[in-house]
Amino acid sequence: MIHRFRAAAQVDEPVRLPYTFPMRSRTEVAAKAFLLHTQNADGGWGYAVGHASNVEATAAAALALAGDVATGVPSPPALLAPAPLAPQLWGERGADRGAEQAADRAADWLVAAQRRDGGWGLVADDPVSGWQTAWAVLALARLGADEAVLRRGLAWLLAVQLVRIEKAEDVRWMKDILGIDPTLRGWPWLPGQAGWVEPTALALLALAPWAAREDVRPRLDEGVRFLLDRRCGGGGWNVGNPMMFSRPLPARAIPTAWALLALARVAPDAVREEDVATLRREMDGDRSTSALAWGLLALRSLGQDDRGAADLLMARQAADGGWDNSPYHTAVALRALG
Amino acid sequence: MIQGRRMSRRAFLRLALLGGIAAGIGASEWLTRPAGLARYLHWAGRGQALRLNGRPAVVALGHCSSYADVADALVEAWDLADMPDVRGKRVLVKPNLIDFIEGYPITTAPEVVAGVVDLLRRRGAAEIAVGDGPGFRRDAQPVAEACGLMALLAARKVPFVDLNYDDPRPVATRDGWFFDTKELWLPRHVREADLIVSAPKLKTHHWAGVSLSLKNLFGIVPGARYGWPKNLLHFNGITPSILGLYQTVRPVVAVVDGIVGMEGDGPLFGAEVSHGLVAVGRDAVAVDVTCAGLMGFALSEVHHLAVARWAGVGQAERIELRGAAADPLRRSYQRPPAT
Repeated sequence: MIHRFRAAAQVDEPVRLPYTFPMRSRTEVAAKAFLLHTQNADGGWGYAVGHASNVEATAAAALALAGDVATGVPSPPALLAPAPLAPQLWGERGADRGAEQAADRAADWLVAAQRRDGGWGLVADDPVSGWQTAWAVLALARLGADEAVLRRGLAWLLAVQLVRIEKAEDVRWMKDILGIDPTLRGWPWLPGQAGWVEPTALALLALAPWAAREDVRPRLDEGVRFLLDRRCGGGGWNVGNPMMFSRPLPARAIPTAWALLALARVAPDAVREEDVATLRREMDGDRSTSALAWGLLALRSLGQDDRGAADLLMARQAADGGWDNSPYHTAVALRALG
Repeated sequence: MIQGRRMSRRAFLRLALLGGIAAGIGASEWLTRPAGLARYLHWAGRGQALRLNGRPAVVALGHCSSYADVADALVEAWDLADMPDVRGKRVLVKPNLIDFIEGYPITTAPEVVAGVVDLLRRRGAAEIAVGDGPGFRRDAQPVAEACGLMALLAARKVPFVDLNYDDPRPVATRDGWFFDTKELWLPRHVREADLIVSAPKLKTHHWAGVSLSLKNLFGIVPGARYGWPKNLLHFNGITPSILGLYQTVRPVVAVVDGIVGMEGDGPLFGAEVSHGLVAVGRDAVAVDVTCAGLMGFALSEVHHLAVARWAGVGQAERIELRGAAADPLRRSYQRPPAT
């Protein structure tokens, strides 16, 4: 059982948002019930009902439910000394016993799934740690995991190796062909590979609470520069290729939402209006649960909203309370509408 | 201590010979990295045997100028191509849904996918699913909806599976094309399928030369494990990854949508080509070699097909064409931008 810090003395002031999303309690209750009913026996969730528990879905669901069990930020372990987490991302609401227990079990599953190197892989028996480590750190920091667990996760995020191209000829070629500066380090999906937008944004969010640490700040700054370098021509982001053979590639909703969530947290001045406009346009074009939900979360982090997108998202909720038969989508939609 | 003992000439020659052999093996091993000498010789020998004595592969061509007529063309080509019996089998149909950009013929036409689904159902397939895992889009469903595929599948009550999230588990790789890993995490529907129908859009590709039924297999690699894009495939090398996927997940058969193809800046921004081609076969290498030829590509221009021929991954030499005459279907596709 992980150690929790719910009764901590340090509690954030509730965030006053300039608007409210139109989530009806019935919608919210049904979504929570879906998550509670689809939790696997081991305490985790899969991407779809009946799938093996994985780190991303479990962390997302635990965070969605933790919005109900945590009224503030857990007391930080002294050595790690994080700044407050991003409450606008994960919200804070009244207590719910079922959600609390489910989040506890999910946190236990995440702790047990941590690998010896401090990272997390796709599932508990994945032999390789990867991008999911940022998800686990985000969730366990919110849920109040042992300091040692978080410390090892942070160490993995700070030490993960990735390809860094520095030979002048190759750098010039990549700038011409792909429109990127390959000398900048973001974060990779898997160790030893290139950096990409979404794992970089996730890592920035996971590390942000510890931005004051000497070993974290430079890495955060470089991660921000990486994101800005990968920005598409008209604003917004795709996976991390703003160009291909000197031709602009389009931005997409989900990576744009992730990048905006990260920038809003660690470098809000870097957000441009054209990024937000691109996000809105891509949300409208995509209209999937993920695009709408992540887009709404990103807009919330910037103090904005999109009532049309919220209505569309609500309309996608199935009769069983979930979205797309997916605990992962349901968790993100729940947070986006909550 | 031995002193003053001289090596005989015979001993010296033996030693030199052994040293030469060892140096030769070492150099060969080095030159054949990362596959290694043994694997290299195995591939080369198998390729030579297939070219000389292998059974011919059948590829059926259909000439179809409109998607409205594709269902009949698919049935005819399927029957001509001696395709496998699908009765009682679980079949995954894998179209190319890499992305949707208005005005570009990027995805496999939904009519082709629907035609394959109808054909499989009539032939008694026990379970049919359609799925893809795009490399540049986190979710496949918006692409499937935008191109019109979801509506056709819903009307047929056929499930669509996002292979990026489909409960990936490790599978042992085969034939040695993945050099740094002995296992690949693959989606449930890929692992459990008795047959995979690779149904690509016929088009050019800036990294691979052409994107056909073999390259289309990149979409079975789950993003949830490997990310977006699937960087593992780039680091392993495009050609070995294409061939490694084909060898690992066999049996794969091919149904190519070349009714409208894409030339030039593929796989996303190329120009439309009204080609009128449907190509079907149970040997995906033979189908792709045939299609690349009909696009006007020499085998040497498409590295993964040239290597597939050399290594005997499929039949690239002895191909029996059936159905529509090939010559009226020959085109000269504009090449993708040079790398």
